[in-house]
Order: sequence, then C-alpha cells, then structure tokens
Amino acid sequence: MEKARHHITSKTILIHLILIVGALAMVFPFIWMLLTSLKTYAESIHVPPVIVPKHFQWVNYKDVFDLLPFFKFMFNTLIITVIRTIGQLLLCSLAAYAFARIEFPGRNILFLIALSVLMVPGQVFLLPQYMIMVKLGWLNTLQAVVVPGLFSAFGTFLLRQFFMGLPKELEEAARLDGCNHFQIYWKIMLPLAKPGLVALGIFTTLWSWNELMWPMIVNSSPESMTLSVGLSSLQGQYLTNYPVLMAGSFLAILPMLILFMILQKQFIEGIAVTGSK
Amino acid sequence: MKEMPLQVEVKPKSKLKIPSLSKTRKRSDYFWAYCMIAPTMIGLTIFYLWPIIQTIYFSFTEWGAFGQYEWTGLDNYRRMLEDSNLLQSFKNTGIYIVFTVPIGIFLSILIAVLLNQKIKGKSVYRTLYFLPVITMPAAIAMVWRWLYNSDYGLLNYLLSIFGIKGPQWVSDPKIALYSIIVVAIWSGLGYNMVIFLSGLQGIPRSYYEAAEIDGAGPVKVFFKITLPLLSPVIFFVTIMSFIGAFQVFDLIFMMIGKSSTALENTQSIVYLFYQHAFVLNDKGYAAAIAVLLLIIILIITAIQMVLQKKWVHYD
Amino acid sequence: MKKWLVLLLTLALGLLGLAGCGSSGTSGDAKDGKVEITYGFWDKKQVPAVDEIIKLFNEKYPNIKVKTELTPYAQYFQKLETAATGGALPDVLWMNGPHIVQYAEGKVIVPLSDLASKDNYSLDNYPKSLVDLYTVDGKLYGIPKDFDTTGLWYNKKIFDEAGIPYPDNTWDWNKLKEVAKKLTNKNKGVYGFAALMGNQGGYYDFIWQNGGHIISEDGKSVGFDQPEAIEALKYNISFIKEGLSPTQAQMTETAPSELFSSGKIAMMFDGPWMVPEYKKNPDLNVAVVPKGKQRAVSIHGLANVIAANTKHKDAAWKFVQFLGSKEAAEVYAKTGTVIPAYNGTQDAWLKAVPNLNLQAFIDGVDYSVPLPSVKNTGEIWQYETDILKKAWSNEESVEDAAKELTKKADEALAKN
Repeated sequence: MEKARHHITSKTILIHLILIVGALAMVFPFIWMLLTSLKTYAESIHVPPVIVPKHFQWVNYKDVFDLLPFFKFMFNTLIITVIRTIGQLLLCSLAAYAFARIEFPGRNILFLIALSVLMVPGQVFLLPQYMIMVKLGWLNTLQAVVVPGLFSAFGTFLLRQFFMGLPKELEEAARLDGCNHFQIYWKIMLPLAKPGLVALGIFTTLWSWNELMWPMIVNSSPESMTLSVGLSSLQGQYLTNYPVLMAGSFLAILPMLILFMILQKQFIEGIAVTGSK
Repeated sequence: MKEMPLQVEVKPKSKLKIPSLSKTRKRSDYFWAYCMIAPTMIGLTIFYLWPIIQTIYFSFTEWGAFGQYEWTGLDNYRRMLEDSNLLQSFKNTGIYIVFTVPIGIFLSILIAVLLNQKIKGKSVYRTLYFLPVITMPAAIAMVWRWLYNSDYGLLNYLLSIFGIKGPQWVSDPKIALYSIIVVAIWSGLGYNMVIFLSGLQGIPRSYYEAAEIDGAGPVKVFFKITLPLLSPVIFFVTIMSFIGAFQVFDLIFMMIGKSSTALENTQSIVYLFYQHAFVLNDKGYAAAIAVLLLIIILIITAIQMVLQKKWVHYD
Repeated sequence: MKKWLVLLLTLALGLLGLAGCGSSGTSGDAKDGKVEITYGFWDKKQVPAVDEIIKLFNEKYPNIKVKTELTPYAQYFQKLETAATGGALPDVLWMNGPHIVQYAEGKVIVPLSDLASKDNYSLDNYPKSLVDLYTVDGKLYGIPKDFDTTGLWYNKKIFDEAGIPYPDNTWDWNKLKEVAKKLTNKNKGVYGFAALMGNQGGYYDFIWQNGGHIISEDGKSVGFDQPEAIEALKYNISFIKEGLSPTQAQMTETAPSELFSSGKIAMMFDGPWMVPEYKKNPDLNVAVVPKGKQRAVSIHGLANVIAANTKHKDAAWKFVQFLGSKEAAEVYAKTGTVIPAYNGTQDAWLKAVPNLNLQAFIDGVDYSVPLPSVKNTGEIWQYETDILKKAWSNEESVEDAAKELTKKADEALAKN
C-alpha cells in the first residue's frame, strides 16, 4: 500500500505548524540565554529590551571563570559522572545477572529487599547519608557524591529485566564448555544486554550531571562543587547580574549539549528503553 | 513494568537437564551468586536500607547546634499537625502535581502522536523537544527567572506591546507557583514524549490498517485503538511523573529567593525538608517530614498496584 | 579472567585516588616541612586585598601556604554549621557578631586570649567595642578585622539633572522623603530611595534614630513592638507605599545594588564594603545618613577566628596575627576595600578613594550602635526575614508583623 510519502496535505501542514510552534517554545529560552550572556548589564535591563547586543560581551564569560573555578566544576562533574556511570553499570549488572540467572537461597527475598529501596523517596536517605559523610570526613570531597551513587536498585532492576529475557540455552552451552558464572556473565550476557546497558548508562550520566540537592549538601567548597551547585553559588555572588548568570548557565550546559548532539540517537533510545521496561 | 516486584518468579526448567546437579556445581553457583550481588547489596544496605531505619529514628529526636541531638518522642509529629507552613507546602505540592502531571502527559502524548505520523524532519523535532531534558534544572531555572523578571524580562515586555501590564511572575504569591508549573511542563515534555513515542511505535500496524478498512476517522482511531493500547505506558508515565512531581525541589529552590514574598506559596514539601534539615538545623523535624513523605509514597504505590489491575489493558 | 581483574583494580584505584586527592576541609602537609592552612570567607570584592595580604604574609613565613575558600554570604554560615559538625571548618575564617556567641559556646572555635598573652599580642590596637564584641564569657575569640557603619549613597547625575543639591549633614527624615519624591521618575524607571528590607544599615538604623531599641538592656525582650520601632518601620516602608522605592518583590527579582550602579535608583543606604564596586562609577558618592530624632547608624565589624578542628594551630595563629597587623590593615586601607579595625590606619582608607566622601562612614562611628548579638541571633534574624517581609510586601500591617515578630523573638530569647 504505497501512499505518496511526500504528499503535502493540509493535515501535514497543520501537524508541522503545531510541531514548529512547540519546537520554538522549546528552543527559544536557550537562544535568549545565549543572547543575554553577551550583553552588558545596562543593555540587559534596558526597556524596551535589546535583542542583539551591540558588542558581544565575551568579558561576561571571563567574569564567570574569574570568580569561580568553572573548569574545576566541570572537571569534578565529569569525574563524578564517569565513575558513577561505569560503577553502576558494573555493579548493577553483576547483581542483576545473579538475580536473573542463578538460583540461590534467598534470591527472591534479597531482591525484594533491594527493590524496596525503589519505593522510598530520596529524602529519607539524605540525612543519614550526610551523617555518614561527616563521620568519614568526606565532606567536600568527590567521593561523597560518587560513592552512594554507585549502588542503584533501579539499575539492578532494569538490567535484571534484560537478563531475564535472554535464552537459557546460551548459558547451558557455555556451562558444558566449562565456563563459570563470571565468564558467562562477562563474555556472553553482557554483550547481549547492550541496549539495557546503554539505557542505564545514559540515564545515570544525565542524572549525575544535573543533580543538585545532594552535591549541594555535601560539597559547599568551590574546590569540590559540581556544575549545578556552582551555578547556584554563582547566583549568590552575582545576585541578579543576569548577563553573567546567563554566561555561567550556558557554560554549565554546554558539555552535555555537545555530548547530546553527538549521541542523540543513543540518548533518546536509552530513555525510551527505561520507560518501556 | 509488567513484572512488578510482588510477582514471584517461577523456577525455569532447564531444557538440557543434566541428570544430577552436582553439589560442587551448586556450591559454585551460590559462591558466584553471593559474590556478584555482594557489592550492590552491601552498598544498598549501608547507604539506603540502614538510612531508612536511621531516618525513622531521627524523626523522634531534636537537634541542637553542631550535631548534638536528644530523644523527644512524638514531639516532631505533634508539631507537624500545627505547622501551617507544612500544610501550605502540601497544598503547594498538590497544586503543582495536579497541573504538571495531567497537562504534561497530555501534551507529551499529543506531540508523540504528531511525531508518529508520516512527516519529514522527525529527528530534528525530537532533538529540539529533548533539549530541555538534558539541561540542568539549575540552568533552566536561571533563564526562566530572567524571562519572568517583572521589570526587565522578555515576557512582560511582549505583553506590554499588547498593552497588558504583565504580572510579577515569580514574586506574586498568587501566581509564582503557576509560573514554576509552566517551566516544569516545558522541561519534562521531551522526556515523556520520547517514552510515548516508543510506546506508540510498539503498536502493531495491523490494528491501524484494520481500522482504516473499517473506515474509522483519526479521532476514533485515537480513542479506540491508540489510547487503550498505550495505556500501560500512560499508566507507568503517570505514576513516575506523580512521584517525581511530589519530590520537586530544584526548580523551586533556584527560582524563588529566600526572602521572596512568594516563598510560602511555592515551597514544596521537599523544599521544606531541605530548609529544616540544612538551613535551620532542625534535623529531627526534617526526618519526620521525610518519614511522612515515605508513608505517602507507599500509600500511592499501593493504590497504583490496585489500579493497575483494574485499568490497564494488556493484550 | 584477567580483564575483569584489571577493570576492578582500576575502579578501586580510581576511588582510592579520589579519596587521596579530594582531601577533607582542613590542611594537608607536604613533605618539605611546608604547612597548608585554609582561610574561609565571603565577599568576592575583598579577594584582591586578601590575596595581597597572603603574599605579604608569605614573605615573612614562606613555609605556610594559605588556601582561600570563598563562599557566597548566603551560604557561608550554613556551610560553616555543616563543616563544624563534621570537624571540617577552614583553619582560619571570618566571623561576625551575630554568630560569635554560638560558635564560641559551641566550642568549635578556639579562644585566643592565652595565645595573645603568650605572644604579648596587644589588643589596644583595636576599638574597644570590637574587642568586646568578640569576647565571650571573658575570653577573646576573634581578632577584629574591620568595621563598618552606614552611609547614604547617592547618584550625582540624577541630582544634577533635577537641580537638587547633594545630601549633607542637615538632612533629616522629612528631607529624605522630600528629595526622594522629587527624584522619582516613573517614565525613566528611576526611584528616589531604595527601601531595602535589611536590618544592618536598614531598619535597625531607622529604629535607633527614632529612639527605639532592638534588644532590651536585660537581653530578655525585643523592642519591635514599641511605638518608636513601629513608627520607624512605617517610615521605612512608606517609601514603597508612596511609589518612591521599588517594591519588595522587585527588589528580590533585581538586586537594588545593581539597579543603583546602573542609575535606576537615586539614593540608598549601604556600607563601606560597596566601595570597591561603587568607586568604578563616577556618578556615585556617599553622605552621612539623615537624622531622625537623633543620629544613629549600625556599627559592626568582622573578626578572624581559628577553628577548633585545625591541625595547624601554630600556623593558623601566626596567620591570624598577621591578619590583625598594621601591615594587613594598610592593604585594606589603601585599596579602599574596607575600613580596617587597626587604630590609626583609617586615614589611609579615607585617602584611598579621594573622589568619594568616605569621611561619612568615619563620622558615623561617633553615633554608632553595635549590632545586637546573643546566642541565637541567627534564629532571631530568620524570624525578622520571614515576618517583616510580609509588612514590606503589604501583606500584613506593620503593627501585626511587629507583634508577631516580637512574640517569636522573645520566645527565642527566653531559651538563652
């Protein structure tokens, strides 16, 4: 049944119209952010608004770096994100494999216990986690942010779903060849669960990069702040000097923006997968 | 999410059944199993499971300066009953949920359905709609605060062109919450849209083709075929959005200043938790608020499981 | 088998590496006898002066490295509270009047009296009121760093355009209101006077000028509900009510100091800490604050204190002494950063920015009132913010707000 694919009907035009309006609404704030970041303070509070600044004030960006160690923020956020993501992928997949493919006493109970974490709102963990960090002397360190995030009930659950869907024959065949569970996990199961791993990876990356509350609570020294926290502290220093604030915001989202542009497909598919499972 | 936790998994029968499963193999199995789950389980216990118990304990204490605390029994809970701020934060969070979740889901489904049609440029649209999702809430809050600025923001300027004097979007206690709701919907749209799109793509073409043969119009198709078949996804997204909206913090924290007149009318429950825990150093009371949140979410989850059986279509 | 071992080891090493390089709040020692201490403070405007002082300090003590930790004021004490609980305070840090008692009694900062007498460190070099401010239960806890009063900052250009003479020391409350009316220009978006909601350099000053008090002599009650205070608060808010000042909402969305720098506000109260910022704008100058029934301005000053959890008390004390020295004071003075506490160095500060009438701040010392400081000052300030903002935004009448505030504050004082 071959319909002319590029047949432009009024229906198509209407669809595009709605989509374009929505897309503009989505993108416009970013454009405004960029434009404002290049204005002088006077230009930004001028009424009627100055749309395009007369001279691009790149100095605003310099101000951001002068006051706060933005590169350090980016570096911190990068380290935290990478280690958390790799850590979760490794630890959650290990546990997920065991829960999915090995029969052992207490399997169901332990899994249910792990799952109960999912039903608890994050705030319930915050205070005690914070006290742990205080006792360990880990305040204002990167590990304070990284370590609790290495363990995820959600990730374990997600990957378990994936592992359960793989055929048992693969395992039996490998067993006959004399492989132990770890080798089966590493050589066979993991590669097959790639969509799940990608999904979890994207999800964890996004969440780590954008997280605000926990990093803010444990890391209030500029040395150890992440980008989100750095932005909020920029607000404290610059009050309402919007051009500089916008410059800071733009810098903060730039890395993820670039990453997203490169890996669009993976991002979107990854999120879709987490939803459907 | 079909396999919800309460379903106990039946032991699968191995097809190539080896007559005698040797003891050494079983022991090797157990060894590997425990090793593999160990890091995650230990980590979860230290950082998540034990803290649940600790928070419940802390909710019965009151904290002084610099980390000293003492047992005060039910004091915190009694205080909650009289705390007008807490009650207001519930109202605020409630309003936030009531608007953000349905409107957000409706719009996401709409866009997803539109994108599922035969049109050009799908991936461009998808990318654009997804941009807010990958942006950190801190940055989103900043730029929207600026757009909303009463005197110098773009929004009020555009309104003034039409002769309308724009309101104080983030400072007026009556409006501020709704301004935040708009931003919340704006930033979450792409995320749900992607999930719905994937759900839509999972609906077999055969249904649509059959409907076409029967001569059904697009509206009928949507309500009789698309929606019902999409209902598991809609259900899942609704619950996740609900729980997420319940815990809103970042946006409100970044958009409303501490001395803002709109603070009382926008504080969410989690914002109040943060205030008491880390600003006012009222950690015992904060723990009580957290316990309250826990109870509420558990009730919602229970309700969800009951509703799931009643409302969701599975084929 | 080997691959996973390598991966696991890498992960483990990575974590260990983090644990090493992400060292906790206080100092770390390098191998060659060098000591590193951390110095915590807020106010980015003072960073250049602090950097220079550290440089001079290192000329004397090259083996003591000082790492600065700048935290915005809004988060400073919050962060300190957290850090104190975890024993992770910076070795040396800024302290202010409202918090000194809490920190001293909480034993998270070190008493300096013994150290001072051992090294014959003279406290005569500072104004007595400041030394007293930082003496708790008979022991000195901080070395005064600076002091500040309030000044009436104004924009010369706006005055010139309206043909009005600049503020001088004849001004009183009526005159302030009168001129603010003349200078407010709705069409240009210019306001006559910014009625900021703030206690130091704000309603405290007005209350004292009207003969009221904040905390009573016996420290058991506050004076917000007294007629003098209510009158003063009403006067303060009247600028907003009469359209001569941006509203509370507007001032939260866009900071008055920035509006002032950009010529949208003709007059506002502010302290000498704004000098590094305002001196960049040739249109701005400062005068003495108008008088009410009497003259009064707040006086306050910061001090440098040493954390109890410091591992390098010696080095920290050496640094604190230097911070309180004449040399350091002169750096602050000649850069016009803040008014140093060290007696006799204020002249250099006055001369630092000749085109600004900095004498106004020094004059203020004569009739200044110290910021009240009790153990739970922080709590009381929180109540002030939460309750008075309702009066500022016209949600509640001044009388009601004052009554509510008094009730809450008195309860807090009773806890002492």
